[in-house]
Amino acid sequence: MKVLIILPPFLPVDDIRKIIRQILPDGEILTSTDFTEHNAEVLVATTFTRIDRNLISRLPGLKMIQISSTGYDNVDQDAVKSRKIMLCNIPAANKESVAEHVIAMALAHLKNLIHFHNEILKGNWPVLTNSMDLAGKTFGIIGMGAIGRKLAERLLYFGTNTIYYDPVRLQEEDEEFLGLKFYALEELLAKSDIISLHVPLTPETRNFIAGKQFNIMKDGSIFINTSRGEVVDEASMIKAIQSKGIRAGIDVYTQEPPDFSSDLFRLDNVIFSPHIAGVTVESQQRFITETVSNVMKYVQGLQPLYRVL
Amino acid sequence: MKGYELFARTLKDLRLGPVFGNPGSTEIPMLREIKDYVLTLHDSISVGMADGLAQYTGTPSVVNLHTLPGVANSMAFIHTARLNRSPVVITSGQQDNRHVYYDPLLSHDLLSLVGDAVKYRYEARNAEDIERSLKRAAMKSLEPPMGPVFVSFPMDVMEEESDYLGLAWKYPNTALVDMNEVEYVAKCIEEAASPAIISGSEIDAYGSMEDAVNFAEKVGCPVYAEPLSSRAGFRSDNHRFAGDILPATTAMNMLLMKNDLILNFGGDFTIYPYLQSPLLPGKKVITISLSPSFRYGEFITGHPGLFMRELTKIVKPKGDFQRPEDLSTGSAAARERRTMGVNFVLQKVRKKFHDYVIVDEAISSSVAVRKNLGYRDRSYFTAKSGQLGWATPAAAGISMKNPRVLEIIGDGSLMYTVQALWTISRYNLPVKVLVLDNQGYSILKSFSTSFYPGVEKAPFLSFKTDIVKISEAFGVETREGDESLDELDWLAEGETARVLVVHVDRSIPKLFF
Repeated sequence: MKVLIILPPFLPVDDIRKIIRQILPDGEILTSTDFTEHNAEVLVATTFTRIDRNLISRLPGLKMIQISSTGYDNVDQDAVKSRKIMLCNIPAANKESVAEHVIAMALAHLKNLIHFHNEILKGNWPVLTNSMDLAGKTFGIIGMGAIGRKLAERLLYFGTNTIYYDPVRLQEEDEEFLGLKFYALEELLAKSDIISLHVPLTPETRNFIAGKQFNIMKDGSIFINTSRGEVVDEASMIKAIQSKGIRAGIDVYTQEPPDFSSDLFRLDNVIFSPHIAGVTVESQQRFITETVSNVMKYVQGLQPLYRVL
Repeated sequence: MKGYELFARTLKDLRLGPVFGNPGSTEIPMLREIKDYVLTLHDSISVGMADGLAQYTGTPSVVNLHTLPGVANSMAFIHTARLNRSPVVITSGQQDNRHVYYDPLLSHDLLSLVGDAVKYRYEARNAEDIERSLKRAAMKSLEPPMGPVFVSFPMDVMEEESDYLGLAWKYPNTALVDMNEVEYVAKCIEEAASPAIISGSEIDAYGSMEDAVNFAEKVGCPVYAEPLSSRAGFRSDNHRFAGDILPATTAMNMLLMKNDLILNFGGDFTIYPYLQSPLLPGKKVITISLSPSFRYGEFITGHPGLFMRELTKIVKPKGDFQRPEDLSTGSAAARERRTMGVNFVLQKVRKKFHDYVIVDEAISSSVAVRKNLGYRDRSYFTAKSGQLGWATPAAAGISMKNPRVLEIIGDGSLMYTVQALWTISRYNLPVKVLVLDNQGYSILKSFSTSFYPGVEKAPFLSFKTDIVKISEAFGVETREGDESLDELDWLAEGETARVLVVHVDRSIPKLFF
């Protein structure tokens, strides 16, 4: 069975080719989509390759697309549906990485790391600090999927009081196991010192956190978004940061790359990262392993995991 | 002498005993002179005990099975003994020749039944056959590959008269090394860019651990343990030890990606489950073994330990592999304390039982057992076949020669041959049994999660049994461990059998690629 793997050229393609030769001898690796036609039955790609109707039309035998990522926004889903092609992603291989990134952002704010770093670079030696401990803080997690659970697990060792909201409440034994207490969204927003958002982008969650929700939050609380930019109303967030002293950790943006002329980038108490919370050396290795494993299931005639279409 | 006297006399001459078994009417005639008999409450348990004993001592053991039902009941265990390369001499009764024509009760073609599970099979025709067939069987059992042999004895043969001839017997010589092949392998190592060594079960079975360590020290390459080995392949505290090889081809290929030469000493490539990747493509693979399978790569027949001894004299160093210090076990144990995870339990076990022989049938925790407790010479045994129910009998058999035996078993596995606890109690065998109770077939749940998601929730993969009551009913002191695991001290006390049940984390581990 022919497997076509399209990789962005900045990856170590020669090394990957050697690996593929060992584990999937029928796999062919390309770094572009400029072929006229290809007889692949399986297409493996990252989010860096746009899989549109045109590309799909040049793969007449295509039966399965495996995206080596949690997201698959780069795939034209209507085109995939019309050809009845199976589409799979790799969810949650980055849950550890995102959970750690959230904690890193929270700690960076609590410990004033950015401020101290900048002061020292300026030749100053600040002796006063309002640094705080993470231990004892109320940490509110919105969305208790794979990443939310992993974050809750990690937080156990930091001594936080962890609360959560999810439209589907966990079983009592799961709450007990993770040391979690459930609250309605508004209550969670009001109680939390730190809030981390872990919801998927759906029509229901677009602008899920807006002016009303920011108004409920404690002044000076920390708000972290590593899910999707569109889940938060950016203008309301900027206002809350300015008026309520809310500190933010932002990994995702409504538009990526964002408009750097936005007021968001004029604010002092925000830590930014470029939608990279889930990207670590280790998470990439997990994505590769899970991708290979899932494609091999399909090639062997088994149902692959993580089918989204 | 009568046939039954010849039977007992030959076993004595061969120093075969005790006889493990569960007799039926067919065997009563042949057992009249047997004084050293160990009763098991299921036929298969006697084969498992004999397997454990034979593997541990490296000499044959003997079993007596009850003709058709006994042999049929034991077939999985006989297959396991074959794969474990365990020299077990299996005997059984057979129906009286004078009425076999009528297909009497219990009669069957036993030689066909045992089939290829044994390496030698014979049915005695007359009393003269008794001495010679038993001696031939015992010698054959030790010929590489070591394994079970089978001789059946019709009831009437036991009443026949014959002389005991005192036929000469000698166990086979295995000290075989072809020096031309040693030079060839040394040259292959010299020409390779990055060799890796696999050390297999034959290394431990032939007492060659020291040779393996000396060779590894000299050549400097990483040493891996054979995939799904039935016993230790190397000393895991040695700095050249790089870990176990997983049996899936894809995982194997990824692990050995950078190695162009794979030298497999006394092991084989056991593979499971099927994955699309070919086995070690583009690599030179050489297996040195007394019993090569000829499955893949080049093969050299010879004693792997002695081969390494000669190779050490001429091989040029090819690296200086140092296993990075593994700091993960302590932190993993601490993390798993609150969930009673197996790494937490096994780190506690390691402190108390580090010098015990480990018999492992905690299938879904086996990787953790191997990692936390490690390998030493004659210190680790498990069933190569993948069957369940082997460990309790095998641990009982080993404990007849070494009182420091810890069996680590899952609740599912324990139930297959739980009545072996009666034999342990009856014969005061000092086996310590640690039951990792996760209330179900966790390995199957893990397999389902990887390949057939959803099936892991099926009710037929979970069950709950009161192991304490069951075990105590067979006469073995039994307790449940609490979160402190202080009961491990109690388990280790004295030289009497004890069972400790620990209720471990029931979450499904990811064990498959």
